[in-house]
Parts: sequence; C-alpha cells; structure tokens
Amino acid sequence: MSDQSLSSGAAPRRKSSNWLRSLRHGQAVIVAALVLAGLMALNAGLSPYPLSYFDISFLASGGATSAIAAAGQTLVILSGGFDLSAGAVVSLVNAVLATSMDPANMQASVPLWTAIGIGIGMAVGAVNGFFVAVVRLQPIVVTLAVMFIVQGLTLLVMAMPGGFVAPSLASVYLGDTIPGLLPAPITLMLVLVALWLWLKRTGYGITLYAVGSDAEAARATGLHARTVTFATYVLAGGLYGLAGVFVSAQTGSGDPLVGNSLLLPTFAAVVIGGTRLGGGKGGVLGTILGAYILMIVVNLLLSLNVSAYYSTIAESAVLLIAVLAGSLRRDSTLSQRLREVTDAIGARRRGWLVGQRSGEDHRLAFTRPAETAPSQSFLQRHGHTLRHVLPAWICLVVVLIATQLVLGNVFSGWRYWDSLLVLSSFLAILALGQGAVILTGGLDLSLPWSIALSGVMLTGLVGGQDMGLLTALPVVFAVAALIGLANGLGVVALGLSPIVVTLAMNGILQGAALIWSGGTPAGFAPPSLRWLMTGKLMGVTPVIIFMAAFVALAIVLLGRTGFGRRVYAVGNSELAARLSGVRTGRVIISVYILSALCAALVGVLLAGFSGQASLGMGDDYLLPSIAVVVVGGALITGGRGHYAGMLGGALLLTAMQTLLAGTALPFAFRSVFFGLVILMAVIALRK
Amino acid sequence: MIKRYIAGAACALGLVAGAAQAQSDGPYKVYLSMSYIGNDWQAEASNMVKALAASKDYADKVDLEVQVAGPNAQRQIQQINAMVQAGADAIVVYPISPTALNSVVKSACSRGVTVIAYDAEITEPCAYNVTIDQEEAGRKTAEWLVDKMGGKGDVVMVTGVPGTSVDTARTKAAKEVFAQHDGINIVGEAVGMWSQAVARTELNKLMATRDWSDINGLWMQVGCYTADSMQLEAGRDPSELLPCAGEGSNGGRIQMLPTDTAVEGASKPYAPMGAPRISYASPPYSGALALKLAVDKLEGKDIPKHTTLPLPLVTNDTVQLCETGSWDEQKAGCNVFQPSMVSNPGWFASIFSEDLPQLGLNAALVGQPEN
Repeated sequence: MSDQSLSSGAAPRRKSSNWLRSLRHGQAVIVAALVLAGLMALNAGLSPYPLSYFDISFLASGGATSAIAAAGQTLVILSGGFDLSAGAVVSLVNAVLATSMDPANMQASVPLWTAIGIGIGMAVGAVNGFFVAVVRLQPIVVTLAVMFIVQGLTLLVMAMPGGFVAPSLASVYLGDTIPGLLPAPITLMLVLVALWLWLKRTGYGITLYAVGSDAEAARATGLHARTVTFATYVLAGGLYGLAGVFVSAQTGSGDPLVGNSLLLPTFAAVVIGGTRLGGGKGGVLGTILGAYILMIVVNLLLSLNVSAYYSTIAESAVLLIAVLAGSLRRDSTLSQRLREVTDAIGARRRGWLVGQRSGEDHRLAFTRPAETAPSQSFLQRHGHTLRHVLPAWICLVVVLIATQLVLGNVFSGWRYWDSLLVLSSFLAILALGQGAVILTGGLDLSLPWSIALSGVMLTGLVGGQDMGLLTALPVVFAVAALIGLANGLGVVALGLSPIVVTLAMNGILQGAALIWSGGTPAGFAPPSLRWLMTGKLMGVTPVIIFMAAFVALAIVLLGRTGFGRRVYAVGNSELAARLSGVRTGRVIISVYILSALCAALVGVLLAGFSGQASLGMGDDYLLPSIAVVVVGGALITGGRGHYAGMLGGALLLTAMQTLLAGTALPFAFRSVFFGLVILMAVIALRK
Repeated sequence: MIKRYIAGAACALGLVAGAAQAQSDGPYKVYLSMSYIGNDWQAEASNMVKALAASKDYADKVDLEVQVAGPNAQRQIQQINAMVQAGADAIVVYPISPTALNSVVKSACSRGVTVIAYDAEITEPCAYNVTIDQEEAGRKTAEWLVDKMGGKGDVVMVTGVPGTSVDTARTKAAKEVFAQHDGINIVGEAVGMWSQAVARTELNKLMATRDWSDINGLWMQVGCYTADSMQLEAGRDPSELLPCAGEGSNGGRIQMLPTDTAVEGASKPYAPMGAPRISYASPPYSGALALKLAVDKLEGKDIPKHTTLPLPLVTNDTVQLCETGSWDEQKAGCNVFQPSMVSNPGWFASIFSEDLPQLGLNAALVGQPEN
C-alpha cells in the first residue's frame, strides 16, 4: 500500500523533471524557434500584404543554401573542429554543375547530378578528414589550405559566371511537394532534420558528441574517434555539396564566387542555433532555424527601412541577443558572474575577501626554493619551443631559395628584403594580438573592421598634418582599447564564445566605420606616417627599424613577463590557472585589448602605407592572421606557441605571396599553390 | 542624416505635387539593392541615385528606399524577393552575381516589377541593364598603351576581382591586344581587387624582385595613382613616369594635368605631374541612370533592354580641370576636380552624363542634386 503510494507519487515527479530537463536541454533550439516565429510575425505585421504561400515558399528557398551548408558546419563543430572550406565547396559544385551540364538537355537527371554534387563535396571532405583525423593536423589550418586550393580549382573550372543548369533541378528543389501547402525546400529541411535525429541516435552520433566533448576520453574509452572524425568531414562535405546543388538549382547557372561569402554566415547560423563552438553540444535542428533567422532579418531590415549603414549593427544585435537568450539559465556564465559579484560585495562587507587580509607571507617552510637549480643544456630548455618554431623558418628558407631560382634578385640586393619586411610587418603585428588571443584559447574575428575603423579615424582626425598625430593617435588607440575591452567583457562576463562576440563586434565596427566616414573615408595620412612606411633612412624603410623593436618587445612580453606566463596558463587550463590564483578574467580581457591595439596599429600603418584609408582595407587580414599564428607553431586551442614562430609564419606567408605575385601564373594556380604551401608547412610542423 | 533630409524633402514635395496632380499614380515605389557600401565607387553611385530621387524632377515621382546586401548573393536574392513582397514598382540593383539572381529576377518580372541592373549585368532576359562595354574598355586602353610604348616592351598588369565577368572581359580584351604585338611581353600580373590599397601591396610584391626601369608600361584596372606614387617614392623623376592605362580616379586624373597647372589643395602625390595616362572607369552615375530609366519605363515610355554607356576615356590631351564641378561646366568638357573639393584621390571622376542634368559634383559627393 505504502509502496504503491510511494511509487505512484515518485513517478510523476520523475516524469516532470525529465520533461523539464529535456526542455532545458533544448533551450537553445526552442529560443531559436521562438525568435524565428517572432521575427516572422513582426515581418508579417509590418508588410502591407498578407504573407502568402508564395512568400513562404520563397523564404524557404532563400535560406536553404546557407541552412544546408550550416548543417554541415554543425557536424564539424560538434566534433570539436572548424571548417573554413564550406563556402568554397559550394562554389566548386556550382561551377562544376554549370559547366558540365548539357544546355540542350532540359530534363537532366536530378538524382544523378545531385549525387555528383554531393560526391564532389564528399571528396573534398575526405581530404579534410584525412589530414585532420589521420595525419592529425589542426582543422582550422587544414580547411584554410583546402579552401584556397578549392577556390583555385573552381576558377580553373569556370573563369567567370555563366554556364547552364537544367531547369529540371529547379523544379524538383524549388517546386512544391504538395502544391499550395508544402514547398520543396521545406521538405528538404524536414528530411535533413529527420536524418539528423536518426543519425544522432546511432553509434556514430553518440561517438560524435563524445569526441566533441572530450576527444582524449573518447579515445580512451575505446570509441572509434578517428573514424568518426573522418566520417564527419566527409558527411559535412556532402552537405556543402548538396548546398552547391541547391544553389545551382536556385540560380540556374554558375558563378565561381557564389559560395565564398557564405562562410561567416554559416558560423553565425550554427551559434544562433545553440551549438557550442568547441564541440559536444548542439545540433542540426537549431542550426537550420538559425540560418532562417539570419535570412528573415534581411526582410525585416527592409520592412523597417533601416539605413544601410546600420544594417550590420542590427544583424550583430540579433546574433548576440539570440545567442544570449539561448544560453541564459541559472548555471550560465552570466548568472554565475552576477552571483560572484554579489558574493564578493557581501564578503567585502564582512571583511572576508582574500584581498582584505594582511599581506603577510604565509609560505610554508618546506616550499622554500632549492639552493641550486640543475643546469640544463640549451636544447633541453628550448627544444620544445624550437620544434614548433623552426618549421616555419625552414619553409621560409625554402621559399626564399625558390624565389631566387625563379625570379632572382633575392640574395643580391636589399630591395627584396626591404619589401618583404615592410609587407610582412602588418601580419607580424597582428600575429602578436591574434597570437595572444589564440594562446588563451580564443579567436578574434573583429580584426578586419578594427583595422579599417582605426585607419579611417586616423586619416579623418589627423587632417593631413604631422601635428594632428598627437591628438589622433591617442584617440585611435583609446577607441581600440575600448573595442578590446568590450570583446573581453563579452567573453568573460557574458560567457559567450569568443567567435560570437568578435563576429558581432566586427559587424558593429563595420557600421561604426560607415557612419563615421559616410561611406567614403576622407583625409590623408600625414607626411611623417607616409615617411615611416615608404620613405628611406640610410636605404632602409623606417618601419623595419620600428618592427625590430616591436618584435623584441613582443618576445619579451609573451616569453619573459608575468603577463605572458599567465596567458599560457589560461590557455593550458583556465580552471587550473584560476585555482592557482591567476585572475583569468583580467588576463582574457587584456589579450583582447592587446589584439585590438595591434589591429589599430596595423590600421594606422596601412593608412601610412597607402597614403589614405579605405573601408575594405582590413578584409584581407583576418584569415592570414590566423594562418600565421598556426603555421608559426601555435595550437589553435591555446596554451602552446611562441612569437618567434608566428613571426616566421608572417614572413613565410608574405614571401610565398611575393613569389607567386612575381610569376605570370594565373590567379587560380596561385591560390592552389598557396594552399599547398600552408598544408606542407603544417605537415612539417607535425614531424 | 542625408537620407532623412531626402525623405523629408520628398514628403514635402510629394504633398505639394500631390495636391496639384490630384489622385494620379502617386510616387512610384522604387528600391535600390546595392551590394557593398565599403568603397568609393559604391558610395558615389548610391549618392547619385539618392540625389536624383531628391531632385525637383523626381522628388514627387519616386519614393526611394536603399538596402545593402553585402557580398553575399543569397542575401541579395532574399532582399529582391522582400522588395517584391513589399510592393515595389521597380527595383534598381547592383548585381553581386550576373547569374545567381536570374530566377528571383524572373519571378519579380512576372509580378510586374521592373528590374534594372547597373554597372554589372543580369543575364535574365526580362531584366534591363545599364553598363559600359567592358571589352571595349580593355581593348582601347591596351591599344593606347601599345601605341605609347611604340609597340614593344615589358608590361605589368593589375587586374580586378578574379572570377567576375567584368574583370574577365577587360583582362581578356587587353591580353588579346598585347598578343597581337610580338614586341610586347607581359612580365607580371597582379590581382588588384579594384582597390588602391590592394594594388599597392601587390605592386610592392611585384617590384620586390624588379626595378621600375625594367618595365616599360602599366595596364591596370585600378592602381595607376598608386603606381605613380610608388615610382616617385622610389626616387624617379616625374618626367620618367611609366605610361599607365586605366583607372578613373580623381587622383589619377590630377596627376595627368601638366606639372605647371594651378590647382587648389594639391599635395604630392595628389598633384599635377603630367603623368602619361589613359583614364577610364565604369561611371558611378550608371545607378542614377538606371533609376531614370526605371521611372521612364513606369511612365510608359520604351526603354532599351541594354543601355551601353559611352566609355568615358580621358587622355593627357583631353584632361581638363573643373572650377566648380557643376553639370553645366562638365558638359563644357571638364573632367577632373580640384583636390580642395575632392579630398579623396581614390574618388571616381567619371560622373558626367548627358542625360542627367540633375547631377553635378555635389550629387556624387554628398547626394545633393543640382536643382
């Protein structure tokens, strides 16, 4: 009797807590769905016409390409990886389909061409997977190199937009599954979600989450971690391929650049959908919702008539709000930080705070340092660092010799070296900031528009006069410090992923730069700045002397100061660092400030180099800044790396570009070569 | 702020005109879908479209709204569709891709919306296009260069964005001209991405293993201004500047003026130096012309499917300084503006159109019409 009542009392409770738990488990997805529904309702309310079936059908097809590609990205991110080749594969598949379909055949086989598209994507994915899972290189560099190679191949397949894609593809992918009720793109999404829900429950799916949560533990428990990682890249490649097929159906022709700008939106879609960057948590359903949220924002900006200058700011706000809402709960970082602050205030009032205790030395007797330290040989002390620093420099020597053989004039004069050192100075400076951020396990994606905003502000404030520098430089660097502070606070206090914070910051800065300059930046770099970058001091461009000092400072800062040690400590284990008394929050915030300051310095120097500032001037520096750090021997997950290696990476990349620019090779081949060299450099790194 | 001013002006004028015209069609709802607003060309084009919409002739006819799609073709597809949904009468578009928009444009056409692309083309047959002849641009400039070099010598090329039709057409036409002359060798080819900043880094890489004296001529889509600046920095005399074909920037045209020309606000390298040059560019007024054509079409006039703009070629013989930059003055033949008025040397100077008397220098600079 009592047993019965007990069990009958307990069962509903367990049921309800289960239900609650699954609700909380899917919080991000539910929030994403609510945000999407809210935005759609708002859009429908603002639109003068009621939302018709046709509109929904078009909306569904509009977001489909990025949703499918982002679904692939989700798999890779769940495994703890990162795939930069997504957009390039979409372009490649589009180019191949548009060039190889027979224009006379209006009824080309849809399954055949879909299979070809997916096959191409899987082949590229297999290359990624091989280098990541088998050779065990870092995903970000592998996929970056593959991205360059695939972009080059795409241009070889198709030099300019054109070609033909049979309308049969469009009628299948963009038509109606049930006319007037269910558009085909929505069916495709439903099929993807169904496949995902099945896949999640298979052995593969469980292993995928395990690998993403803790790769070491997964391997230790005997899971086929490598096979699953490999399969993940292949599957993801297949999805990019499918996205390429869809875009071909949608556009009816080919464009070799069509997918390249999809890359950053796929990341945004993944994080809005609640997938954790770094792996182990999230799923495809949320990502698809995220991709559609990004698309509906376009309609909303139009309905609200938001000025073009504010559109990137509005999008960044949506990104931040969606991600924050999806992660808000009792144990989220934000609420934890708030609790910590109240606790700290309480403790201070009672006089319990550690900082309030007397500064007396409580060291225990047996922890006194030894009288003599065993002396180590140079190799013992630096061998570990050298092993990761040297490959970039060795590759550099190879590229230099190759340049001498192909173009000459390398070892015979100063001109080549001067040019190489000046051009690599931008990447070398960015490498310190991006490098410090990566050493703590973060990533700074706000570099492009930090650079542009700084440059534009400088030329605007300085008025072309040297005296103007005295007021302009402090303002520019103060703004940069604030940008870095905001990035750091977003990561530390809000507990958001660095990628989300800095991606949103990049959009906000883009808006700020546009508003500040009104679309066309005014003014010039002052003569002294131009002299620094293009003048000559005893035959040497002055910035090279500045760089020598910068490099020395950077090596000391990361290698010989307490700050540097704390950066490494945080990167190796944030928890361990905090428990050892490192104020991890402050360290993380300061690396973002350092990164923003470096970006501002590059903006100033670039303005001096070109004589003026332009809005797009930072665009070409984001991916190279990451590549340089990783090619220089740093671990993208943090904790390992040396500035000397990053400097080698900056020189290597610049020397490689100089070599390729000097040849008369078509751009497509240059892109392929560039990718291959990056790949070879990281393979050398592994040895 | 300019936008609000225009909207206000449009409203006020609309009220006055509305009272006079009684209940005609009301203003046409026209949308502008731009790609990217982060460069001078796009900013000027958008200023000129806004200026035209705010001018007396158009303020009561057009209700203009501007949106930006960024570099992502998927977004532009979505945006055009949203514009159709919002009840657009016409859509003026700077197409990110000549092919990717075809199906959305077709569906817009089928709903009775006029779609006009400017600068780049849309290949969908129902769309209207306003462009220059890119192939002619590549050919004419290359021919000028060959002529200037006396039919022999080494050429360095700086191209645009690889994979776009505009870049491919220009570069291919120029290479065909060079291939016809045995004496001409292309010794280097850099990807300039239509940006002075990129052109500078790329040229630096090219010149790392060469001397300026090794080269006899330059063919560029954007970058002559930068190339001349670099030659001066390298210690060459202005009289030794290499002939450079390409680029329609104001800075480039100021450099073409004879050294003794008196200009206001010049400072080297943004100064007259008699640089040998042929200057051309896709003119930024094409967007405004597209808007004019869209209104013509909505008013029931016939407009051509493809409007080919006259190629604005300027050589050292035809370059002429403007005093105020008004439309009337430009009509009289001037084609370069005082640095004191145009502080940005990368700013595009080909802003004159016979058909658009509403637009002078201020239209391109700040979006203010002539009347």
